[in-house]
Amino acid sequence: MKLTVDERWALIDKISKQTIKYGKYQYTLKDAIEEITVKPLTGIPIAIAVLYSFWSFFGAFAGFFTDGFLVKLFDNLWLPWIQKVFPNEGGWIYYIFVGDPAADNCFEAFGMLTSGLFVALGVVLPAIIAFYLFLILLEDSGYLPRLAVLTDTVLHKIGLHGFAVVPMILSLGCNVPAVVATRTLETKRQRFMMSTLLAIFIPCGAQLGIMLEVIPKYVGFVFLYLLVGFFIFGFILNKILPGKSPEILLDVPPYQKPSARNVGIKLWTRVKGFFTVAIPFVLLGVVLVNILYLSGVLDWMANLFEPVLTGWFGVPKETVGPLIAAFLRKDLAVAQLSVIEMSVYQLVTSVILVSLYFPCIATFVMLMKEGKEAGWKGVCQYLFGGILTLMVVVFLWGGLIHLIWIILGVA
Amino acid sequence: MSNKTKYKVGSIYFAIFGLIVLAAGVVELLLGVTGKSLEWSIMEISGEFLIWRGLILFCSGAFYLSSIKNFSDIHKQARTVMASVMIWLIAGMKIFSMILESIPGGEEGGWFNSAKGFLATYSPPYIPSLLLFPFSFVVIFFIKTLEVSEEKINMSENTHRQLKVGEKYE
Repeated sequence: MKLTVDERWALIDKISKQTIKYGKYQYTLKDAIEEITVKPLTGIPIAIAVLYSFWSFFGAFAGFFTDGFLVKLFDNLWLPWIQKVFPNEGGWIYYIFVGDPAADNCFEAFGMLTSGLFVALGVVLPAIIAFYLFLILLEDSGYLPRLAVLTDTVLHKIGLHGFAVVPMILSLGCNVPAVVATRTLETKRQRFMMSTLLAIFIPCGAQLGIMLEVIPKYVGFVFLYLLVGFFIFGFILNKILPGKSPEILLDVPPYQKPSARNVGIKLWTRVKGFFTVAIPFVLLGVVLVNILYLSGVLDWMANLFEPVLTGWFGVPKETVGPLIAAFLRKDLAVAQLSVIEMSVYQLVTSVILVSLYFPCIATFVMLMKEGKEAGWKGVCQYLFGGILTLMVVVFLWGGLIHLIWIILGVA
Repeated sequence: MSNKTKYKVGSIYFAIFGLIVLAAGVVELLLGVTGKSLEWSIMEISGEFLIWRGLILFCSGAFYLSSIKNFSDIHKQARTVMASVMIWLIAGMKIFSMILESIPGGEEGGWFNSAKGFLATYSPPYIPSLLLFPFSFVVIFFIKTLEVSEEKINMSENTHRQLKVGEKYE
């Protein structure tokens, strides 16, 4: 039997009337919760609560392992043992690998096998695990895209959009994957802006972990100062850089319970990445700084840069060593700063300088790699544009903090 | 108890609770800004991030209070749930840090804490969020009530649909 077009449509109507029921969508509590977490009035307080718990978890988890067990393990067992068994005490090889033979803690010994291992495994590793674990839970539960929606308006002011919050938060763990994550941004201009800003202003998890050890009371202030700098210089870059920032539509997934297996796999992949990328640089950094110290290069550089360091930034000339180490690892540099004799305000300024100063070598390589996506011209743009921005930021933002201390009468 | 009565009781409960949470938030904020601390009976208002904790409690209290009018409305209940979640986040993190602090032996002690030291970690005084924590769980009763009514609606709709389809195929 052959049906005409009208007969076919009539049959379709008949079947659909018998089989399809049109009803009202049952709005659930979950839908209502999803809605209020993206509305600014209710979403921002919730975001503050989530970020507070993020920070509390980070501090408690890292403190449990570092202060509770690893400090004791390294200071009471590892350090005395390595100081005893390592041959040729007082020699230059001993100094490079074990450090000061009179030191009674791994922070001050400054050898590759003492401070180097302690910083990498005792301080940074627990901080990195805590950071990534919480971040993965936020990602997998579906909260992170909502945070992107919430921050969209603010980030638009500096020519970025809500999803730029993903590399921002990632860089609080490690700047290397964060630079890679800038690929989610649409234009070359946005990618350059974001990667430069995060490399300069956002301290990584390793650095945060050490900062919590060295200046626990001032971490909040340092963080706020850097964040304000991020937005001010972001605003300036947005005004002076050519190009456009397009609008995007965000897909916000529903809330869901994170799967333990996925969390485990992601955590392992990221921590493994930290082991292979960061730890060799920490150890190499200690060796390099020790060689420079033994050969007298550090003293020479300290004298050379003394007018700038003491005059403009108000920090002791000895900070030149940590600033060199910062190119290899910023966490290592902050650890080095803690053993230099200076006032607490000078220490805070030095920590800010370490953050603003040149990105660590791993981030630097990744920045060049991202620039290379656009050919050698891109590399040059990333290299010279980045360094120029960095120089301006270090002198202005680093000098401003010294000015603030002078005005407050504490410098 | 009918759902109407339940929601009425809920709205009164969360009005009172919301006021207490809001007041606790204001006190924490004020102490945080002035840099002072307060210890009263089993409650202690001091420590790190006091301003942030105060701000979160203040917002939580405001959420509760803004949800009491027309409490049976799903949007208002979502606000109550999130107000409780905010308290759970602060209190949960405090409990988490107390557990982690109670295990190691401290700077001068051994590897692990003594039984006395372990128990001492959990003794009062407590921060306000921890004291408010058990009272915020009442919201679960209302989530369950809402779930039951949602299920009832879905079931009645499904029965209705099955009957209609069944009628055609008989």
